[in-house]
Parts: sequence; C-alpha cells; structure tokens
Amino acid sequence: MFRSNRAGWFFILPAFVFLGLFKIVPIGVSVLESLRQTTYTGRSYFVGFENYTYLFFEDPTFWNSFWITLIYSLVVNPLIILIALVMALLLNENRFFTKFFRTVFFLPTAISFAVVSVIWSVVLDPHYGLANGFLTLFGLPAQPFFASTAQALWCLVFLNVWRSAGYWMMYFLAGLQNIPESLYQAADIDGASAWTKTRKITLPLLSRTFAFVLVANTAFNFLTFAPVYIITKGGPRGSTNLLMYESYKSAFVNLDMGRASAITTILLGIILIFSLFEFKWTKAGFEY
Amino acid sequence: MMRRYKKPLVLAAEFVLLTAISLFFILPILWIVASALRPSGPLYTYANPLTLQTFFPTTVTFDNFVHIFKNLHFGRALLNSLLVAVATIAISVLICSMAGFGLAKFAFRGKNLFFFIVLITFMVPFESIVIPLFVLVKRLNIDNTYFALILPAAGNGLAIFLFRQFFSEVPTEILEAARIDGASWIRIFRKIILPLSIPAIVTVIVMVFMFQWNSLFWPLIATHSSRFEVVQVAITAHRSTEDTSWANLFSSAIAGSLPPVILFFFLQKYFVRGISGTGLKG
Amino acid sequence: MRKAFLLGLFLLATLLSAATLEVLWMGWPKDQVMPLIEEFQKQNPGVEIDIQLVPFGQLFQTIEVRLSSGGGTPDVYIVDGPNTASYAARGYLLPLDDFFSTQEKAAWFPSSIVAGSYRGKFYSVPYGTSSAGLFFNKEIFEKYGVPLPEESLDARMTWDEVAELAKRLTIDTDNDGRPDIWGIVIEQIDRPYLLFPLAQSLGAQVLSPDGLTATGYITSEKFVEAATFYWKLFNEWKVAPQGVNDSAIAREYFGTGKAAMLLGNEWNIVRLLKYPEIRFGLSPFPIFPGGTAVTPTGSWHVGINSKTKKQELALKFVKYITGKEAVIQWYLANGVAPARPDVYEALPEIFMHPMWQMFLQEMKTTAVTRPLTPGYSQYELILREAFNSIHYGAPPKQALEDAAKKIDRELSKYK
Repeated sequence: MFRSNRAGWFFILPAFVFLGLFKIVPIGVSVLESLRQTTYTGRSYFVGFENYTYLFFEDPTFWNSFWITLIYSLVVNPLIILIALVMALLLNENRFFTKFFRTVFFLPTAISFAVVSVIWSVVLDPHYGLANGFLTLFGLPAQPFFASTAQALWCLVFLNVWRSAGYWMMYFLAGLQNIPESLYQAADIDGASAWTKTRKITLPLLSRTFAFVLVANTAFNFLTFAPVYIITKGGPRGSTNLLMYESYKSAFVNLDMGRASAITTILLGIILIFSLFEFKWTKAGFEY
Repeated sequence: MMRRYKKPLVLAAEFVLLTAISLFFILPILWIVASALRPSGPLYTYANPLTLQTFFPTTVTFDNFVHIFKNLHFGRALLNSLLVAVATIAISVLICSMAGFGLAKFAFRGKNLFFFIVLITFMVPFESIVIPLFVLVKRLNIDNTYFALILPAAGNGLAIFLFRQFFSEVPTEILEAARIDGASWIRIFRKIILPLSIPAIVTVIVMVFMFQWNSLFWPLIATHSSRFEVVQVAITAHRSTEDTSWANLFSSAIAGSLPPVILFFFLQKYFVRGISGTGLKG
Repeated sequence: MRKAFLLGLFLLATLLSAATLEVLWMGWPKDQVMPLIEEFQKQNPGVEIDIQLVPFGQLFQTIEVRLSSGGGTPDVYIVDGPNTASYAARGYLLPLDDFFSTQEKAAWFPSSIVAGSYRGKFYSVPYGTSSAGLFFNKEIFEKYGVPLPEESLDARMTWDEVAELAKRLTIDTDNDGRPDIWGIVIEQIDRPYLLFPLAQSLGAQVLSPDGLTATGYITSEKFVEAATFYWKLFNEWKVAPQGVNDSAIAREYFGTGKAAMLLGNEWNIVRLLKYPEIRFGLSPFPIFPGGTAVTPTGSWHVGINSKTKKQELALKFVKYITGKEAVIQWYLANGVAPARPDVYEALPEIFMHPMWQMFLQEMKTTAVTRPLTPGYSQYELILREAFNSIHYGAPPKQALEDAAKKIDRELSKYK
C-alpha cells in the first residue's frame, strides 16, 4: 500500500466524476425522496420518516414481501455461487471440451432477463409447457409451477440459477487464473489429491474473487424484478411479491415515490449489511 | 510447466457431469431455436408431448429471421447496441481500471468513502434512480443522443470493485521495485498492472458489454428517435397485451444473443491458466 | 455578416425543429405502423414524425417518466383509454374541446368519447375500441355431443348455462386425473376489463360515481356474487385452467383445441386465423339470469401533451392518425376494432361478417366504459391482484374487502 493522496486521487478521479454525476446524485435524490410525499399534482413535501414508519407498522404487504425477499435471496445466493464455482472448477483446465462447455453454460446469460422470463413462463406453462412435456415423458405428474403458491418462488429461484450461474462462473474463471501454477506443481510432487488441492490451494486463493461474486450476487438477487413483473405479478396470492416489485408498483403505478424510495432504501440497507458480513466471512476485508 | 494428466476415468466422469449440466442450460434454448426455425404456428404443438421434433424441426425455414431483419430493421438495433456497448467499454475499462488501481494500491484521504460509493452504485435498483437521472441527462442536453446511452453507464461500480479485487493480488514489492527504478505511476499502471490483469480486463469487457446489451428501460427513456432503437427494445416489442408474435420474439432473441456469445467464445481463451499471474503471488 | 449568419442559423434551427413532431407510440410492429407515418410525411412535405415504439411492458413507465420530467415532449402520445383521467387530472393532456367540433366528435362511438373525457372536457381522441364475447370450438362441441350455442344476440346465454357447458366439456381424455380439454379459458385472467361485466350484469357498480371510493362497491353483495361465480369456475367446478395470464397463451389453448370456449376480445376474429385447423363460433357475452346485458369496451386513445410547443402540427397529426382513412389502413394492418362507425361502413366485405355485426351491435347497445377515475391504474392493479388471488382460490369476499381498503387509500389522494 502506497501512501499518496495525489496518486490515489489521480487514479480514482475520472471514475469519481462519472459515478458522482450519474449515480450518486440520482441515488441521493432517491434517498431524499423517501423522506417526502408527493401529491398527485406533483407537489412534494417533507414528512420525515413517515414513509418508513408506515411500512414497518401499518403497511399490509411490506413484511410479507420482506420475508419472501429474504428467503428467496438466502436460497438463491448460495445455490448460484455453488453451481457457478463447481462449473468453473470443472472447466478451469484447457481440455478439448472446455471451450464448448464454457460457452454452453454462458448461453442463458446472453439472453436478457426480460426475455428469459418470457421464455420460462411458456416453458413452465402449468398445463402444456415444455417442462410438463418432460415430466409426462418420464411418467411423472404434470406440475403447476408458477400457478402454485407452493412452487412459484422456487421456480423463480430455478429461473435465476439457469440464467445467472454461467455469468458468475465467468468471474470465478477469471479469478482462478490468478492462482500460480507453481503451487499446484508443488502439491503434485507431494502427491496431494485433487480435492486436497482444491481445498488447500484453490479456495483460499480465490477468496478475493469469492468476496466479489458474493457481494455482487447478493445485490443482484435482492433486486430481482423482471421475472416477477413479467411472469407472476407477485402472485399467486402474494407468494412471489418481492420487495422490488412492491417498490416498482409504488413508483410507476401508484405514483407514490415516497414509498417506492423508502423500500429501495431499505433494500440498500439490507444489502449493505449482508455485504459487510460477506466481506468479514471471506476475510477479504474492506481494507487490506 | 507440464502438469500430470488426470486419469482417463476421471476425465470421462467430468465429461459426463458437464454434459448433464449443459443439458439443463441448453434444452430450453434448443426448443426456442427449433421454434424459431419452424414456420410460425402454434407454440406448444411440439413442446408437449415431447418428441425428437421438439428440439429438431423437420422442416427448417429462415423466414422468421429474414422477416425481422428485412421488415423490422433488426440489424439497425443490433448496430446501435453494438456501438453503445463498444463505446461504453472503451471508457469503462479505462476509468474503472484506474479507480481499481487507486483503491487497491494507495492509501489516501476519502478512500473508504469512495469505496463505499463504488459499492452502493450497484446496490440501488435502476428503477429508483431513473427519474432523477433523466432530469439530469436533459439538463446536460444530451438526451436523445448516443451520449445519453453511453455516459451514465461508463462509471461502473461493479467493474471498479472487480479491478480492485484483482489488482490487490499483484504483489506490492514489484511496484516498489519499479518505483525505485524511477518509473512513474502511470507507467507502472500501464506496463505492470494492466498486462498482469488480462483476465480481469476481459471479464470487465464482457460485464460492461452484457450490461449495455441487456439494457431496456433506460434506452426507452433516454432516447426517443427510432434511429436509436436498441436490441432489447426491438426484441421485447414482439410481446404485448393483445398478442405475442412467438416467431418474431424467438428469432430476434436468438439473433440478439449471438453477439454476446461470440464475444465470450473468443475472449474466454484468456481464461487459461499460465497466461498471467504466473508465480507473482508471494 | 456574422450576425446575419447566426440569425439565419437560428431561424433554420427553429424551422427544422418546428417541423419535427415527437410521438410516443405503443410498440406495435414497425411494418404495421410505419406505412401510416410515411403517408403523413408524404402528405406534409418538410414534416418529420419522430416516432418511438415502446414495448407494452415498458409503455406506462416510459410515459410516466417522460411526462413527469416536463419539457413539452413527447408532443403526441398514445393513451390507454382509462388513463385519460389520470393524465388529465395531472395536467399532462391538452383539452381538445376547442379543436374538435361536436360534429367531428360524432364520428366516434359515444362510449369512446366518454372514455376520452374527464370532468366534462374532451382530452384523448379514440384510436380504437373493443368488445368481447364467448368464442366456442365447434368441433369439440360436436365431438362430445353438446348442442352448439346459437350465434345470435337474441340467444345470449346465462353464466349458469355456460358453466353447465363448461362442466360437460372439461374432459380428461387420457385418464391421468387432469383435464386435457378445458371447458372455458379466460383471455387475460385477471383483467378487470373482462370481469367487470359479470358484476355489472348483476347490477353492481364497480366504483363510486365520483370515482374515488371502492368500499361498498367492489365489496357489494352483487359484486361478491359475481366474483364467487368466477372463483367457482377455477376452484369448485375446475372447468377453467389456472395461471393462464397471457392473451396469446389463452388463445393458444383455444386455438389448439385445449379449451372448448374462450371468453375474449373481438381481436380474436383476426388472430384466431393463425389456427386454421379449428372451426369456431361466437356467442354473445353471457349474463346472469335476470341480469342486464353488459359488455366491456374501450381501447387506445391519442393525446396531445399540454406543454407541447407544436400544438398545430400535433393536432394535424392526431386528426390524421385517428381519421377515417388512416384507421381503415390501421385496421387492415393490425386488426383492432376501429372506434369510428364510418370505418365499419367503409369495409363492408369485412364487417358484414356476422361475428363483426354482433360485436358492432354490442358496442352500440350494451358496452359500458370502464370507470372514470384519475386513479384508474392504481385501482386496476389492486383489483387485478384481487382477481388473480380469487382465481387461485382466495375467498372472494375477503380478497375484495382487502382490495377495497387498499384502493380507497390510494384514491384518497385525489380527494
């Protein structure tokens, strides 16, 4: 670490300008908006924390959405990361099939979330979709998928894993390239098994990439919106009503920017808290 | 450099496992591709019950693709998205790698605040900043230009975060040695840091490309002339409350996903051990 | 010299900008929309229509963001009929009474003019309208020996009769315990548009006359009775498939013989042509026994931004695009029902078809516009969620009472 205000600021300045202007200013406006309420004519006035207290103590849907969002994230995060990591480990070495499989795993990521949602809504059609075609082929009973309060949220998880695992695999692949070959050679001489090498060399030296994927993936998943908007509209019976969808409805349908911003600010808080733990856990601290 | 090769049995087991995983990813896509290559007709005819035809159409036609390119000008949308993505990548890789270097290797006033800013930029949903951002873009007088699509995406917190993680792996001693030899920071950044971080750069290129390629809502707000239409807008337009044109939707979704796949296919050769990072880690 | 040059440049710039009209339009296929735009540009040399086709899923958000940021553009924008009141109440729409004479307005169906008005002023010009009815698959009826419904307004079926038919025609052909043919499929399963007429046919009002209170209206005995019938279709008799919330998918079910009846919009006449293998008939929108006949109506309108700097050109364009000639072309391209009777007269070879005649008659006699309220989109979304829950098995009365509370809270800000 080099102690230099001048050099440090020189390198971060361009990014600082861009982020400050196009991200921090609008985010600031949005957070301040959560302390205000707007009449339908567009006049807005300061209300302090009223939007928050309403959400916490009176709003009939907030807590339901809060728990659903939490459960969804707690399941989908580790699942995606585990699958992405396994895929990256399997495809790290250059063999004749490596390129092919990497590209196949990456395919779903090349389709936007909106289009992926449309595709899966028809693949998982409760009566005639491709997925039910598979089930009946193997003699299994057809499933309602998104049309069932018990299954809809897990279908969202499934959809997200399908779409995102290949994406996060890419980051692990990049991170794996930073691990020096010499360590594996040394381990080979000691006769270490593949599992030992993975556990003792790969995973510890992947911690910084791991921290990155963990934090970024957490943020992405807490902000899941497109499949809810396109497929379930929060249903059936509120079972997929993620917080982002609640916020969206407030912002663009109910014209209630205060509530919308309060929800996204709460989400920001939750994501930050999770990130803090994730940084701690991976020991890839905030400060090295 | 040579490593002991794995036993053929292990290799075969890995191959089988990978094939199984890839079926999970590719089957829905195969169905979409087959549907796009069929003359347009009912959606579920070949999906249920499942037959070989589900994935391999007996009559193949490219009419759906010809239609979207010839009559719906899908090529224009592809070019727009390509232009926007490439321009954003050019700016993004430069400024984000610089910032990542600043965060990874320097101690300076305001550093923690800056890192905090970097983190929260990708923790706030775009939907909640779209209105203030649009007001800002209008005030800067760049609405309805390519700049409106490129500049707001150029500063990418996720990319900075990634660069920071990767640059932290470069041993500080090398940089110290270069300093003693009289190298400037810019020179160190260009000649040591960047060449050692090819996988990170490649990853950020793909990341920024995907971000711009998949953007839908912002292009609709920031630009309104049809000459700026981007690829996701062109794809999504095939679905509405009155009707969905599955043939157009699927064929444009496939055509629209080719550029990122091709990009990834060619760039992934940099995800090979030994190209960088060799023995640098202390 | 330099001054003159700059002045000239300035004049040129204003001239150029004055000749460009920004239009925000629904994301219909380009090959359907653009010929109409090109025709206008041909008729008006020097005018450029800068049109943006916004996909339906992003349309309303885009309109909200663009209008709320001010600035007078888009000059002209597409308006979903029931949103007229919302945009008008917030001052986003130019009142059009001064520009459309009573005689001109008579070109449209009266119900469409009502839908385009708010508090006595005319704000959005009708671009299309709609109706709905009960389509049925003749082959399925014949195959299972069920007499075909009569295709006549005089033989309007009751919902009880429809339910009986649906029960007989919900068939498990392969004995796996799940229907392979459904009795009835509802196009847009949770859209109040299609479901209001059930309650209205029983005499229920769906919102207070001032458009600001839902409690006591959607919670009324009649409304709950209609919703309970709807609940039974999916949950007690199980004659309609749950979870089909997409128009194209519902049509797919009907068009491929997986549903015997389709409660859906008039556009199915055209769109069902994609399924040439089925023969279908049309029975009028059902009523409850002893109830009055009510059919849904309404569709897209066109509005002018109240802050536009190009009012004259905007008006010219709006009059063109909603005019007889353009609407004829639009119908031929897209197939949505025109809101102008003169278009029906101009295309007798199409509209003399008995199905169209039935819809036309419904539009003229039984059509009821959706409620006029500045909070329509809030009202609709909450009610949609309630209908969605009901079709998934939520107790109708409870779901509607919860919805009414939420709606009243949202609507209170307009008081």
